Amino acid sequence: MTTYIVKRLGQSALVILLTISTVFVLIRMAPGDPATAFAAPNATTEDLAQIRTQLGLDGSILSQYVTFLGQLFTGDLGTSYSFRAPAFEVVLDRVPYTITLALAAVMLTAVIALPLGIWMARRADTGRETGANIVTIAAQSMPEFWSGIMLLTVFSVLLPVLPSSGFTTWSGLVLPAITVALLQVALISRLVRREMVSNLTSPYLTVARAHGIGERRLVWGYALSNSAIPVLTALGTRFAAMLNGVVVVEVVFNWPGVGSLVVRALETRDYPLIQATVLVTAALAILVQLLIDLLYPLLDPRVRLGKATAR
Amino acid sequence: MSRLVEVEDLQIELITARGVVRAVDGISLHVDPGETVTLIGESGSGKSTTAMGLLRLLPPDLAVLSGKAVLAGHDVIADPAAITGLRGRVAGLIPQDPMTALSPVHTVGSRLSELVRLRHKGTSRRQARLAAKELLEQVRVPDPERVLTRYPHQLSGGLQQRVLIACALAGEPELLVADEPTSALDVTVQAGVLDLLMELQERTGVAILMITHDLGVARLVSDRVHVMREGRFVESGDVEQVVDAPTHPYPKQLLAAVPRLAPKEVPA
Repeated sequence: MTTYIVKRLGQSALVILLTISTVFVLIRMAPGDPATAFAAPNATTEDLAQIRTQLGLDGSILSQYVTFLGQLFTGDLGTSYSFRAPAFEVVLDRVPYTITLALAAVMLTAVIALPLGIWMARRADTGRETGANIVTIAAQSMPEFWSGIMLLTVFSVLLPVLPSSGFTTWSGLVLPAITVALLQVALISRLVRREMVSNLTSPYLTVARAHGIGERRLVWGYALSNSAIPVLTALGTRFAAMLNGVVVVEVVFNWPGVGSLVVRALETRDYPLIQATVLVTAALAILVQLLIDLLYPLLDPRVRLGKATAR
Repeated sequence: MSRLVEVEDLQIELITARGVVRAVDGISLHVDPGETVTLIGESGSGKSTTAMGLLRLLPPDLAVLSGKAVLAGHDVIADPAAITGLRGRVAGLIPQDPMTALSPVHTVGSRLSELVRLRHKGTSRRQARLAAKELLEQVRVPDPERVLTRYPHQLSGGLQQRVLIACALAGEPELLVADEPTSALDVTVQAGVLDLLMELQERTGVAILMITHDLGVARLVSDRVHVMREGRFVESGDVEQVVDAPTHPYPKQLLAAVPRLAPKEVPA
């Protein structure tokens, strides 16, 4: 177990290093120049060169990379050009907001998609299941900026019951979380449905029924606990993906999370801030994935971590 | 003595991809308390469908049952809802393939305790655990304390089948429906499971509806035998009569197919 965790952490460090290195090179090769973002509109070539020197962008990409790595190992991710503060701290300030939104969205998704998927499984291949499928797929197909704006129009403008932007009270969480969850419900409910159908028709369930176990317990106690791994994996993966920032939704609702930060960092070519964002979100996503993997043996006793399993 | 099972003119039609198939075509049988009645036949003869139909375990949207099937006084065809009170308590199932018949994420102890508490409402967890251990002792499971903490995949097929018999016994049923209980097991393990079933019958007086394709099994355990083919009984009667002096050509063929250990006479 400990060996497994150590091995996974080692792999994770490697993945993060590769990711951050790729991003480091790519943002410098992409068109655009941070110097122009900070210089006066009529700045001369000399002015721009001077700004580049100040920002440490005058050397080759390789020499910049060596400097960056040196700083990285001392825990220094550079200073954000636009915030004029340590990039790492700027990102860390935003992380709790993104985690809050992601957690709320995932929990809302689970609360809707689990019962819905079970309901669909028990009515598999009926007209009502098709109806539920159409509704959830329609919700998934709506672009989030549109569904977000529609929700804003209805619940903040027409019926002003919820705040339209920012996060000053908990009610500010409602609309963004719904907008994100709308995208996930179709996927998760159909996954739950598929897993439940296969478990509800499996021999062990028929035998348990023959032993006199009631239908409710068969569904919620047997079929659902046997469906846990794929469903939890999917929810966890969606959660990990949301930690990178739910960019569009954060922008629509002016949510102070990592997503809206990344937009600003990209607009101003704020290299240290982009790098810090990538580093933090990648580390978080990998950590969540590791936690999910560590949960597997608790959910399915056949899983042994670090070994091939026969399922 | 009233009959435990009384089936009259049972028909079961299954809706399959190839259309409606009449899997069981007008069979009648009865099982009295304490006796063993065997349905024997080849694969697809309708014997398992009969057993599953009797317990109403066929998918309701894919199987149409008609006729009469009375289990402990309740006609489960006229009143399908009645079966919920009968499963486990009146009739327990011993399934064909023990490897797929236990929920992979539940320990043996949690399954058995749950069934004990289902049978005797208000039993404490501790008492249920003790009862579960006794059930495992009854089915001759070695080291029951350890097996209670095991998951199905940690047990051999023979042990899994014993656990499943214990599960069926937890409901204290009057009838065990044994659907080819040994066909997925090794030959040496088969004998042990059959011995156990007969011993349990002797001790508790439980009736057995045995489903098998194995003449040896039928001869060993049965009081009465129904030979089934294409959804019908082609021959019925006492085991000695059917096995030793069959009148219908099909049981004769079945008997002729049993391999013999005596050397063949080689023509000179």
